[in-house]
Amino acid sequence: MDNSKTLILACATVIEEILPLMPSDMKYEVLDFGLHVNPNQLRHILQETIDGANSRFDTIILGYGLCSQAIIGIKASCCTLVIPRVDDCIAIFLGSSKSYQNQLKTEPGTYYLTKGWIEVGDSPFAQYEKIAAKQGKERADRIMRLMLKNYTRLALINTGRYGMDHYREYARKTAQQFGLRYEEIMGSTTLIQKMVAGNWDNDFIIIPVGETVQYSHFYPDLHK
Amino acid sequence: MSDEKYQAISKAVTEGEDIQTGELVKAALDASLPPLEILQKGVVDGITKAGELWKANQYFLPDVILSADAFKVGMEVLDPELKNTQTGPSRGKYIIGVVEGDMHDLGKSLVVALLTSAGFEVVDLGIDVPMDKFVEAVKTHQPTIVGLGAYMTTTMLIMKDIIKELSNQGLRNNVKVMVGGVPTSQEFSDEVGADAWGRDALDAMQKALTLVGG
Repeated sequence: MDNSKTLILACATVIEEILPLMPSDMKYEVLDFGLHVNPNQLRHILQETIDGANSRFDTIILGYGLCSQAIIGIKASCCTLVIPRVDDCIAIFLGSSKSYQNQLKTEPGTYYLTKGWIEVGDSPFAQYEKIAAKQGKERADRIMRLMLKNYTRLALINTGRYGMDHYREYARKTAQQFGLRYEEIMGSTTLIQKMVAGNWDNDFIIIPVGETVQYSHFYPDLHK
Repeated sequence: MSDEKYQAISKAVTEGEDIQTGELVKAALDASLPPLEILQKGVVDGITKAGELWKANQYFLPDVILSADAFKVGMEVLDPELKNTQTGPSRGKYIIGVVEGDMHDLGKSLVVALLTSAGFEVVDLGIDVPMDKFVEAVKTHQPTIVGLGAYMTTTMLIMKDIIKELSNQGLRNNVKVMVGGVPTSQEFSDEVGADAWGRDALDAMQKALTLVGG
């Protein structure tokens, strides 16, 4: 893999975890985290960014998963696309799709936070103060109550790459404020290390030039 | 006079005012306005407008959540009256639930409300519903349609297993299956062998009506 001909295109929360492990001669572009709530818009912007960049690179590595199917339909007309075979960024932070599935089975009603998510500030917890200021505390409280109705746990993922004190304090305080149980779970940089080293095993999907990303790339079982 | 009352209800729902919506619906019932009109011109109109604002990017998720909540409160007040009102023959039984491992209930609540307003007799199995429970419910209730919701890509594939299990148990030919939820699509619906896909709550209601030939 020629690092100078490789581009990493990642979501703002994921790039936080990639940057410390990325070779210095590799280029990267970051897209807004807020796009994840609107898969159609995310797909559109991803495609636009790939179209604008792909003639300058051999490979574009996406710091995205299926992301509510936002990734479905994406293609690159001049380069190869490499995508981690995961549902969303939580699996990237946890190091594998399997770890994510285990967490989901253990406690489906979990809200996950990472350094990136906290810093970007685009979570219901971060929006609470803004809504309270604009629409009053009563409405803000109602929104949170309705949004978190089925959530029981707030899990902070520690990928071990940076000092956690500040984020731990924030997550702990937030959990307490909104009646969730706080837990810190160990993440892993396994997937990201493989991603930036070009070690694209079965945890990655490699899309040849001109081919379109499909749901079955992520879940081959669909056709069985 | 009555139009003003309906508009006020609609506005309260759109603006997500739960208490006000409940009071206005009750006042409209006390004034002997027809429950079906309160439903259609008031609460459903209000939630439809909220949906339009969401699509136009003028409403954000918190706004929609409050509207849905106000809608739910309005429906709770209205529901007993609707059941007492002869609104024509039932459109049939509709079983609905969110698949196992998925705790999202906002989308489903909207679909339930709209299906009810369209005349379906809805049996709501709730969220995080195991496959066996869907199968059992189909056996017990013998619905016309069963609706499966999944709001995460990690849970949506279970819908394929449920549809397969309905076939294995010889139930598939007697029931229509609909799927829906943010990550689903028409292609996905076709792949898993569903009869129809609901793009959103309103679309789900319209597709359900089409399935029963209404």
